[in-house]
Parts: sequence; structure tokens; C-alpha cells
Amino acid sequence: MTTPQTEHHDGTSDATPGGYDTERRPGELGFALLMLVGSAVLLWSAYGISGFQALSAPGSVPMATTAVMVIAALIVTLKTARLTLVSGETLARDILPGVVLIFLALLVGYALLLKPLGFLPTSALFLTGAIKILGRRGWGFTLGVALGSLVLIWLVFRIVFSVLMPAGIVPEAEFIQFFRTLIGGQG
Amino acid sequence: MDALLAFLTVFTQPELLLLVGLGTFAGVYVGAIPGLSVTMAVSILISFTFSWDVYPAISLMIGIYMGGVYGGSRTAILLNIPGAPSAIATAMDGYPMALRGEAGQAIGVTTVMSFIGGFVGIAALALAAPLVSDFALKFQPRDYMLLAVLGILLVGSLSTGSLVKGIFAGALGIAIGAVGRDPLTFAERFTFDLKLMESGISFIAVMIGMFGVSEALLQLHHVDKKSVRQTIDRIVPSLATVRKHLPLSMQTSTIGVIIGALPGTGGDIAALMAYDHAKRVTKKPSRPFGQGAMEGLVAPETANNAAVGGAFIPMMTLGIPGDAVTAIMIGALFIHGLNPGPMLMIDKPDMFWFIVGALVMANFFMLLFGLTGIKLFTKIVEMPRAVLIPLIMLLSIVGAYAVNNSITDVYWMLGFGVFGYFMRHYGYPLGPVILGVILSRLLDDNWRRAIISEREDLGRFFHGVFTSPLSTVLLVAVVLIFVSQTPLWAHAKARLARKDKA
Amino acid sequence: MKHFLLGAASALVVTVSAASAQDYPTKEIQGIIQWGAGGSTDTVMRSVTPHAEAILGGTVVMQNMTGGVGAIALNYVADAEADGYTVLMGAENPLLYKVMGLGDKDYSDFTAINLLARGTPILVAGPDAPFDDYAGMMDYIKAHPGEVRFGATGPGGLPSVITAMITTVEGGLDVISVPYDGDGPALTALQGGAIDVMPAVLGAAIEGIRAGSMKPLAIFDTEKNAKLPDAPIVTDFNAGYNTFLPWGPFFGVFVKKGTPDDVVAKLTAAYAEGAKNADFVELMDNRGFTMMGLSGADAEAFLAKWQQGTTWLLQDAGLTKASPEEFGIARPGK
Repeated sequence: MTTPQTEHHDGTSDATPGGYDTERRPGELGFALLMLVGSAVLLWSAYGISGFQALSAPGSVPMATTAVMVIAALIVTLKTARLTLVSGETLARDILPGVVLIFLALLVGYALLLKPLGFLPTSALFLTGAIKILGRRGWGFTLGVALGSLVLIWLVFRIVFSVLMPAGIVPEAEFIQFFRTLIGGQG
Repeated sequence: MDALLAFLTVFTQPELLLLVGLGTFAGVYVGAIPGLSVTMAVSILISFTFSWDVYPAISLMIGIYMGGVYGGSRTAILLNIPGAPSAIATAMDGYPMALRGEAGQAIGVTTVMSFIGGFVGIAALALAAPLVSDFALKFQPRDYMLLAVLGILLVGSLSTGSLVKGIFAGALGIAIGAVGRDPLTFAERFTFDLKLMESGISFIAVMIGMFGVSEALLQLHHVDKKSVRQTIDRIVPSLATVRKHLPLSMQTSTIGVIIGALPGTGGDIAALMAYDHAKRVTKKPSRPFGQGAMEGLVAPETANNAAVGGAFIPMMTLGIPGDAVTAIMIGALFIHGLNPGPMLMIDKPDMFWFIVGALVMANFFMLLFGLTGIKLFTKIVEMPRAVLIPLIMLLSIVGAYAVNNSITDVYWMLGFGVFGYFMRHYGYPLGPVILGVILSRLLDDNWRRAIISEREDLGRFFHGVFTSPLSTVLLVAVVLIFVSQTPLWAHAKARLARKDKA
Repeated sequence: MKHFLLGAASALVVTVSAASAQDYPTKEIQGIIQWGAGGSTDTVMRSVTPHAEAILGGTVVMQNMTGGVGAIALNYVADAEADGYTVLMGAENPLLYKVMGLGDKDYSDFTAINLLARGTPILVAGPDAPFDDYAGMMDYIKAHPGEVRFGATGPGGLPSVITAMITTVEGGLDVISVPYDGDGPALTALQGGAIDVMPAVLGAAIEGIRAGSMKPLAIFDTEKNAKLPDAPIVTDFNAGYNTFLPWGPFFGVFVKKGTPDDVVAKLTAAYAEGAKNADFVELMDNRGFTMMGLSGADAEAFLAKWQQGTTWLLQDAGLTKASPEEFGIARPGK
């Protein structure tokens, strides 16, 4: 393979964003409308910061930028509305296929469980589930790769960089202290 | 003579040599993993090296710094996920090269160019530090503001697709940067009265989400596709290649040194500005920009490594940090009983020359580790996607959390990841969003400072601009770049060309 | 492997059954630093804590948690268990949160382990300023109203308190106030001529003064400073400042109220001892900080007095969102 697959406009690289010049993708108009509404809400919110009080007011730059957003979003929406829908693409197959939806659900689940359950159990569940679904390999492979890489990440972030992810139900700190005592001879 | 001896300290003491090497090696990996940042690593080293002497402690930090700035390019090229903000521009042409199986070549060029950029930065530090820092001090709030405007105009060259969508993305970025309590007046902006919005949105969380998670989500479309096999036989670029890019690399290194030396701007802005510069001056790139142009790698990588030397300039001459990492290093010097400030160069010139020496050494180590560990790195992209994608997601989560130890940042990161996924699908470029977030405070704060200083009087503001040569030059640059991007200019140029023919 | 599991299991049992304060600390302690890496709170905390760790016989993992003028870190510690395993390392700002509308918690929800040191404010000017001392500056401001640019760091910051003090004592101050992110960037701007005068903490300005790139106008203290013996003190220019001085920002280590007494005692002893370390004392001295080392009732008295004086000063200058009265903070002297 010598050429990158830029012809399939899925936006794989940032430099070659997805979308087409002459046709619109499923959901593109909806997204543009959402952006327009969002920009308008932000503009209203920016106006609420300080109104037209002074050039140096905290709301001046936010108002200017959100105004630009509204105008740009409006142009994009109008342009998109005039394009014809691309044939052969559907929202369910090309934009949000099942596997993407599953992963979105996994990520939401991760976000919800992270605090109550703690970093280690949540990540173990996430990695195992994700690798199992994508890889369709045996449990031995899945668990080995998932837990192995989790331990590696944990060692780097928790021990070397002392990033204290939420401990949740695992008494991490006591565990580490135990090993410190074991190695150092004293606490 | 004393200066020479101090400069050579690091070369003659094996222990220091080893620490610089170790630091650089670790730095490459710290830089490559999105979410592990040099800033974080150096601030942990402060506690870690607390009881050490000052030379070994600084050696290790310098190594990490140099290696880390370079390391960000690795994942940018291989995975399209910049390991650090200063590697955002690198992804734009590096990743297309990896898609062609030329990752080895891309990394080779990046390494050599980082080395050259690093050297220009160190040379500027060693030879012209007082000069550059005097120049950097001259920047008034209005000049910083004009610089930010200049940066925002880069949106044009960062959005290859639709320009309107690029402008939208850039403005969105500036708005994201304004979320939270305004640091100057504490007024709440875009918080919608929610407590969790008050501390604002971490820029790193936005970056990791948009580049990391959204990329991983996109890759889900190709889970079963075979990964591209990377050829890694021609890693070291030929002398001819290096010579060909030498003029450009000198220009972009200069951009890096100056932007790095300015307090408040660092390698991330330098790299983006350099990329834009390369796009402007390169008449015939090896391939079109955005599809794997070598020039698109040369520019940002020389600039961000040159910014390292640049950042040390105000730190060593004035005790003013040039960026976040040098700010922590100043703290480290304090802890080790030194008093960084304008007097440091006079009281302790040895320290200055020692740091220059250590930087030189770190630069060499970077070249060494950069050119040798490539095989292992390219194996990462050849890993099955079924394993790679979940791992990228988990690393993104941990990385976003690590920035400020905040779960809220994880939520933001995931949110922007999903948002970025849709943006990519519908042709909105992501680069301008990050650009906007980076420049938001620079623009907003300095605009307000400038206009407050002139008592809200636009007339006085412009009087100030036109009576200062520096501001005038910046304003002219802004106007020229702006005009060159509007259709009017293209129109005029086309007419001129027709006239020539006639 | 068997030993490994056995050990781990027994470690768990130990912590579950006998997590009494006697063994404190049985695990690492989280030290939450209210400000970013490289700032002065960060530097001070990272240089005292290793000494305290040695005495405590435990590990303190320090993390920077920025945002909301420090309120994010404060709320994080306030939401954690009151068991001494989450320690707040902060500065003076929380005492102003309530009146500034930045939060509903302050140090009254915490027990002070050690109020380490206090900074001394100083008024500095750029090298080209047309005045050389405080009196000259006031004359110049009277002659050129609304022309002199003062650096500021947002409401409640040190510069805002000092300018409020000047306004109160002198009966007015007509200057332009240019906001910066902190005293570091503002002092940089001072040297570049973007602002003319900056009220800063002595430690941040001392090297610039020594190098001649800043002029000391007046030290805001009642006594001369040993680090800058030639710099005049503001009470010599106007005795009215005696009412408010000495005043200064401070650094302290805190735990949530309700932490067991013996844990507090252990931590207090460790930090008191750690702060006496010669290296640390020298570092603080070099940066122009005055060591305090207050804890217990002394610390509470200090905090209460500081809060009374400062909040009412800001209230009288019209800089507050809510009156100190609403939170039961009495006017000083009443």
C-alpha cells in the first residue's frame, strides 16, 4: 500500500478532514444546526458576562468570538443545506456504526464508575471488555493483555509519577505502604 | 577560561553525563505519551532530587526537558496523536507519511531537525542571551495581543478543508479558553452557574480528547484492516536532504528562539507559527502540505526544540521563566539555595555555562536515542488495533486526569473526544480549535491590559501602536497576512499574472 | 508468590482492623498544593515537606491542584475524610473567599498544622520611573492624576489589599490598575515599562532590586528589613499605616476540622520540627519571608485577626462582593 486512503473521507488525518465539497454526509446538516444553536446560546451567555460595559470588560473578547462563531455557523448551515445528500452512506453505517456506539457506551460507563469503583477495577473491566469485543480472541489472551498493560500503566502513573487516580474500593495506599515497609525496613 | 571549564563540567563528570542521558531517554517516552508532560515530570523531580546537589538535579531536568519536547513528535507521526501540544503541527504531515509506510523516514528527519533546532536555540542562549532578553522585555501588552492575532490568522493555513469551518473552529477554541472564572476580574464566563465549570476547561484535556479519543473512535471503523507495514531501513536522512532544508530550518529555528524567549509563549505556539511560515515560503514542497510534506515536519520540529534554548534566555538573564518548565526550574534553583534573577549571571556565571553544557549534551543524547529506538516505536503502530484502541483510550483518560488531578477534566476530555469525532466526520478541522484555546488568554488578557493602560481610549491605543516600531511591524505583518488570505488578494494576483503574460 | 499474597492480605487486615491514629501514618499522605508548579506556595511546600516527612516517618505525595483562585483545592480537601491523609497546603487567599464571593468555605473549616511564614509587601517602581520613593510617587500621582499605571493581580490579591490600604490612609489614589496573572508576570511587565508601580511581595522583587532593574519605593512594614536595609519603610512617610501593619501574605499547612487530635499533634510536631531545618530557614530568609511557625490557638488567633483586618479594609475600599458582617466577621477593634 503506497497511498493513504484519502479518497474515503472519514477524516483519518486532521490535515485531510472528512466531508465532501459538493455533497453532504448523513447528519451533517443536523450537526451544523446544532453548532448554530450552540453558538447562539454562547453568544447570549457572553452578552450576560458584562454586556457592552467597556472595551476592557471581561465579556468583550467572548462576545466578539461567539459572534464570529454564530456568523460562521450560519454560513456553514446555509451552504450545507444547499448540498445534496451523498448517496450510499447512512448514519448508522458510516457515521455511528454499532461498534462506535458500543465504545461510546463503554466510555460513559467508565466515567460513571471511575469514582465509586476506583481506577483499577474500572480500567480492568474497560480494557477486558473492549479488547474482547474488538479482538474476538480467547479469554486468556484478552485477560493477559488487558491486565498486563493495566499494571504497566498503573506502575508508571501511580508509582513513578504519583498520579493518585481515585482509589475507590481498592486500598491502594495501604498496599503501597506495605511494600515500602517491606523494602525500606521501616515506614 | 572559567566559563569554558564550567561549560565542560557535564562532559568530564561521568555521573552528570549519565544523568543527562537518563533524563533525555526518559524524556523521549514522557513526551511521547499524551498526558505525561514534561512539566509534570520536572515538578516531580523537584521532590525526588531534593537532597541532591544542584548540578545532578539540573542535569536530570534538562535531559527530560530536551527529550520530552522532542518525544511529542513520535506519537504524532505514528498515531496522529500529538504526545505534547508542541507536536500538533507535526501530526499534520507526519501522520500522512506514516500512512504511506514512511514512518521511519519521518522520524529520522524529525530527529535530525530537532537536533539542528536545539542547537540554534542553545547557540542563541550562549551567545546572545542578554540581547534577546532585552528584546523580549520590550514586548508590551499590545504587542502580545498583536502576536496573538498573528497566531489566530494561522487558522487559514491549519484548515485545509473549508475555511469557514476553520474560522468556526478557531473561534470555538477561543471561547473554550475563556470558560471559567476570568483570572483578571474573577467574573464567571460561560459557567452557566455550575460549580464544575468555574475552574475552566484544561487545554490539555481538550487536546487529548480531540486528538486521542476521537482518533481512537475513528480507528474503530478499520479494526480489521491490516496495519501499514513500516519500512525502517532509511532512517538517517541523507546529507543532501538535510542541506536542502537547512535554509528553512534556520528561519523556523529563529522563530522558535524568539517565541520561546517571550515570557508567556512557548514551543506550542512556536511550532504552529513555524508550520505556517513554512507553508508560506516553500514554493515547491516535496509533497503538498497536509499529505506528507517533509517541510511540514522540518518547520515545527526545529522551532519547538529551538524554543527550549529560547526559554532559558529570560530565565538565566532575568530570572523570568520563558515557559512552564523553566518556571519550575526556577523554583528548583531556589530550593537548591540559588537566587535566580538578573544577578545570577553575575554572581554565579558557572551555573549559566553549566546549563549551556548540559543542554548541548542533552541535544546529542536526543539525536542518539531518537535515531536508535525507532524499531520499537514503529512496532506500536503495527500492534493489532483491537489492543491499541482501548489502550489509547485508557491512556487518554489517565493523562487527562493527571494534568490537574481532577475527574472533571476526564469528563471534559471524553466530551471533546466525541465532539471531535463528529467534527472530523463533517470536515471541521481540529487544529484551529487547539490553536484558539492556546491563544485565548494571550489575546484576551493582553487586549484588556493594553486598553486599560490607555484608559479605554482607542485613539491613544493606536497612537501607542504607531509610535512603537515593534508594534508597527507586528501590525503590518498582521495586515499583510490577513490580506494575503482574502479572495481579493488572489484576484489581484491573478490579474497581475495575466498582465505579465500579455 | 505465597508470601506476596499473604503479606498483601495481612496488610489489608492490619489497615482495616487497626487504622487507629496511633500508627499514623499507615499509608501515604496526599498533600494538595493550592497553586501551580513553580509558584511560591509550591516552592515553599516542596522544600519543607521532605524535612517533615523524615520526622513523621511517612510519605507525603504532593500534587498541584489549581483553579478558582485556590478554591478547587480547598474544596477537595474539605470533601475528603477528616483522617489526616489529605492535607491542604495553601496561602492566605481562602480567608477572603466569602467576602469575594468565591466560595462558602475558608480556614474556619480547617485546623492549622503550621502557619509557616509571612511575606512582606513592598512597593517597587521601574528603573525609569520619575520618582524614587513613596513620597515622590504620591506627589507625582497628585500632579498627574490617572496617569500612573499600577500592576494588580485581581480582586483580593496582595496588590489590591495594598492599594486599598493606600487609598484608605491617603484618602484617595487616582491611578490606572492593570491586571496580571500574578506578581511574576507583573514584575516582568514592570521591567519592560508596561506598568510603572507594582505592590509585590519582597521575595519576588528582591533580586530585581539588587540588580537595579527595579526601584524600592517603600517597604510595607513597621520595621526595616534586614534583607534591604536601605529601603525606606512606609510608616516613616505616613504614620497612618501603623493601623494596618504588619500585614502580609502567608503560607500554611492545614487539615480538615474533625481530624483526630493525636493525628493533628503528630503532623504539627513533624512540620514544626521540619520548618526548623537550616536549609529551609535559609531558603525562606533568602526570599525575604518572616518565619512564623504558628499552630493551635496561636494560629487561630492569627487567622482571625488577619481575616478581620483584611476583609474590612477591602470592604471599606468597596472591593468586596458581600460585607464581612454577613459572615460574622467583626470589624477590627470592636
